[in-house]
Amino acid sequence: MSVPRALPWQARLMLGLVPPALLLAWWQSQAQAGGARAAVFASLATIGVAAREQIASGALLGDATATLTRALTGFGIGGTLGFAAGVLLALSRWAERLLGPLLQAFRQVPMIGWLPLFALWFGTGDGSQVTVIAVSAFFPALLNTHAGIVQVERRFLDVGRIYRLRAVQRFRLILLPGALPLVLTGLTQALSFAWIAAIGTEILLGSGGGLGVTLQTAQTEQRLDAMLVTIAVTAALGFALNQIIRHLRARLLHWQPVGA
Amino acid sequence: MPPEAIPLAPSPEPLAQPRGALTITDLDKSFAIGGQSRPVLEAINLAVRPAEFVSIVGASGCGKSTLLRLIVGLDADYAGEIRLDGERVTGTSLDRGIVFQDHRLFPWMTLEQNVELALLGTDVPKQQRARIVAEHIALVNLKGFEKAYPHQLSGGMAQRAAIARALVTEPRLLLLDEPLGALDALTRVHVQNELQRIWMAQRSTMLMVTHDVEEALYLGDRVIVMSPNPGRIRRIVEVDLPHPRDRRHPLLHRLKDEILAELTAGPASDAGNNLVRLPAREER
Repeated sequence: MSVPRALPWQARLMLGLVPPALLLAWWQSQAQAGGARAAVFASLATIGVAAREQIASGALLGDATATLTRALTGFGIGGTLGFAAGVLLALSRWAERLLGPLLQAFRQVPMIGWLPLFALWFGTGDGSQVTVIAVSAFFPALLNTHAGIVQVERRFLDVGRIYRLRAVQRFRLILLPGALPLVLTGLTQALSFAWIAAIGTEILLGSGGGLGVTLQTAQTEQRLDAMLVTIAVTAALGFALNQIIRHLRARLLHWQPVGA
Repeated sequence: MPPEAIPLAPSPEPLAQPRGALTITDLDKSFAIGGQSRPVLEAINLAVRPAEFVSIVGASGCGKSTLLRLIVGLDADYAGEIRLDGERVTGTSLDRGIVFQDHRLFPWMTLEQNVELALLGTDVPKQQRARIVAEHIALVNLKGFEKAYPHQLSGGMAQRAAIARALVTEPRLLLLDEPLGALDALTRVHVQNELQRIWMAQRSTMLMVTHDVEEALYLGDRVIVMSPNPGRIRRIVEVDLPHPRDRRHPLLHRLKDEILAELTAGPASDAGNNLVRLPAREER
């Protein structure tokens, strides 16, 4: 059975809520089964209490703000630099020959691999964390921007030559809009990488507050309820960030035929 | 447009300042394929009069599209000379416009923005651009579609928009590279009529490549018949009929039969060649 495309948003929302509801029901049944399972599955009631506590004390808001700030700062820096580097490498053969191999090699180092080095240089605070997040956002932005500009078709560039457009006009009116779909794919990926990196570095460095730090603390204190609240908030915020950038993308690419 | 608004055929006597006279002298062009040089155009000599409509027909692989790329200035790697009003062609120029088989409108721009783009490299003052763009959109009968994106236009409409964009700089010479090749038969006839009307209103020189002999004859003051491998001019046919023309005119039909016979006959000189010819891909 196929889901009709033009379903009203209320219906789509309801459909999307079915699996989480089922998951919660199953969870609750496990928690109530008693015995050893109770230690692994906190009941929805206890999770609810923990959530209320964390909200009332302001801890949750503080954590969410700290993590969001870090993730968005890192995304801003890494995404911007990645975009700029992608443009440079796509437009200049010299830049690509000079910097391409080095960047390709750096890309092979996973996000976590940078952490010890940056911790040594910048300490375990925001400096290291934002740097790792920026590096995580940098590469998807770079690679997709580069690919986007390179794949702009020659027949379109010919039009720019025929009408004697200046280099700046050709970039602004032909290359950039032609590359935009891939650039936005890159930035979407960069944002989700930044979010993952933010939580990851917080868990590993455990300083300065944030959702990852709370997760780490909850594990040492064996606070299953607190852990689950934080995981849920992490998922919800990540999902929200993704929705925002998806809407932005749809707006910027309004000229594309529907379904393309 | 009411018929009385259509100006009569362009005057046969040249204007005080010849505009749009194209001369091609001893043009040779070859491509390097796998380290070997393969000729695509050989000994092309051609003089097109100002305000003349010339059609070029020939089998695929005869270098028709390559010839237009050279004239528009996208490819400077050839031997011989191309001159427009005595001036040697070096690179692209707003004096020479071109319409391709694919409309090449930018999908991220509205029809209006696409047409206006052609004016960005000119010194036309900003205040006048909107008016000029509107005039040319009206010329190709697309009034009301100014804000449409290319994917919202039909094939025929998009091609007319491309013609508007090419004409907005008022080029002395307009090159048409199989402009109607991708359209269905009915739309084709419609856009052919439009093209004839536009040419009569615009009075710029037009050089159109097509593989449709009927189309070439209907629009062209002269039809150049080319033979392939390498591309050469085989014959030039005068179509001595005033515009606007009647498709049913017996002369058009007689010439069509003649040209078709010519095109389907064997090679003109180099007999003994392979009978089976693989159609060579035309350079885009």
